[in-house]
Amino acid sequence: MSHIHIDIAGLSFGYEEGIPILKDLSVSFHEKDAVGLIGANGAGKSTFLKLLVGLELAGTGSIRVEEIPVEKKTLAKVREKIGYVFQDSDTQLFMTTVREDVAFAPRNYGLPEDEVNRRVQRALELVHIPHLADKAVCRLSGGEKKLASIATILSMTPDILLLDEPSVALDPGNRRNLIHILNEFDHLKVIASHDLDFIWDTCNRVLLMDRGQIIADGTPDGILRDEALLTTHALELPLSLSRIRPG
Amino acid sequence: MSKISNAARSIGKLDELARKDTWLNRIHPLVKLLVTLLYLVLVVSFPPIRLTGVLAMALYPFLLFEISGLSFRDALYRLRIVLPVVCLVGILNPFFDRERVLTVFGITVTSGTLTMLSLMVKGVLTVLSSYLLVATTTIESICGALRMLHIPGIIVTEFLLICRYVTVLLNEADRVTQSYALRAPGQKGIARKTWGPLIGQLLIRSMDRAKALYQSMCLRGFRDDRPYLTVKSVTATDLFYFAICCSALIALRIFPVLELVGGLFVS
Ligand SMILES: Nc1ncnc2c1ncn2[C@@H]1O[C@H](COP(=O)(O)OP(=O)(O)OP(=O)(O)O)[C@@H](O)[C@H]1O
Ligand SMILES: [Mg+2]
Repeated sequence: MSHIHIDIAGLSFGYEEGIPILKDLSVSFHEKDAVGLIGANGAGKSTFLKLLVGLELAGTGSIRVEEIPVEKKTLAKVREKIGYVFQDSDTQLFMTTVREDVAFAPRNYGLPEDEVNRRVQRALELVHIPHLADKAVCRLSGGEKKLASIATILSMTPDILLLDEPSVALDPGNRRNLIHILNEFDHLKVIASHDLDFIWDTCNRVLLMDRGQIIADGTPDGILRDEALLTTHALELPLSLSRIRPG
Repeated sequence: MSKISNAARSIGKLDELARKDTWLNRIHPLVKLLVTLLYLVLVVSFPPIRLTGVLAMALYPFLLFEISGLSFRDALYRLRIVLPVVCLVGILNPFFDRERVLTVFGITVTSGTLTMLSLMVKGVLTVLSSYLLVATTTIESICGALRMLHIPGIIVTEFLLICRYVTVLLNEADRVTQSYALRAPGQKGIARKTWGPLIGQLLIRSMDRAKALYQSMCLRGFRDDRPYLTVKSVTATDLFYFAICCSALIALRIFPVLELVGGLFVS
């Protein structure tokens, strides 16, 4: 039984009158999809993810998350199912300490305090930062903030993960660990990233966006190896796939 | 470190204190809020001329500092900007009100001096007691207590968000001034002609950041009609604390305690 899915039909959106950012997107995501969202700067990846959790609502067309249309009055329900990691970690974190921030969502959902503590501990362990639990959020390094942001979402145990540039600022060890965490999470996830190697390692489906349109939708093998396709849309082959020719 | 990041830091420190797990932190927020409110009302209700009565009210904050283990020096340091301002109230009274009240060791004390002193003490005491509340109770708990008093949810949410955004504004200001300083080496302060764009930029950025933070809260289950509040139920200890504090404070207000104690020694 596959109940986790997102259906998008005829979605268009612009921040300002007359400047469309997303143009008539139609696509469906299913339970086992690990979708890599790629595209040049300003292609509309972040905007697309924001629409999925209803951070922007003025679009035309429809978005349904597990059959629930994303509208003002259904937002609370939709957001219980989705964990969203912002591109900018400073936006994600707002409590004083890491522990408080990671506990925010479970507490809000009314879980008993010992369950909250268990989830916080587990989320921190997953991203390898239990030692930062009581550190002030504003004193974290860039990568530590990213890991803390991811922990704030893991403690929610969402059905669906949306991640905007999750690998930015991570050192190789933490990046590898994140790949591992994401691969363990076997529900629907959508990852927007310029780190094509990261997409290669975590995704089983790739969407290529350019100027608000979906240009290609296929397997990583089909899209990430297609040098001609990537270069026409201002991207390059993943490093692990580009052959380094001896000079 | 710049003044701005210092300010943001001391707000963070206060929050850290409030999250500690001491017995005073554990007292129910509603109880602490009500006791603090009662204290404020009683202190303010003293007629200005009754300096000794007001002085006796100082027992409450000093005792609390003593038994809660909060550092009084830290408090004075954190309140170093507020306290002098509070003390300014009434500073002119001695000039206007020169009626002689008593003479101590040959020095004549006018009623103006007395009222000035009592206004100062009142100001300092109200600030200290509010500090005690904030340093032992998180903003969220205070909001929870306000909700229990049936203050409308929208007002409480507003209060909660303002508290959170003050830090945002300070951090944003810190970032803007830092990035300015890096690109204007050797300059003292900020050039007058850049003030306009800088402040405008600061406002837009803090508004954006505030909006984004609000969104981030909403994404993790925050709702306006059900603010993030962990309100526990009132225990016997809380009631006991409440009863003791209220009766002690009311006694301090009604009986001239200092005079009575003084009377013991004189007779
Ligand atoms: N709040 C906003 N108001 C107006 N325009 C915006 C806003 N946010 C984004 N845009 C514009 O929308 C377009 C798409 O932005 P978006 O952030 O979705 O791109 P992206 O694909 O995520 O890019 P990047 O890879 O750089 O993160 C950009 O041209 C951007 O300038
Ligand atoms: Mg983006």
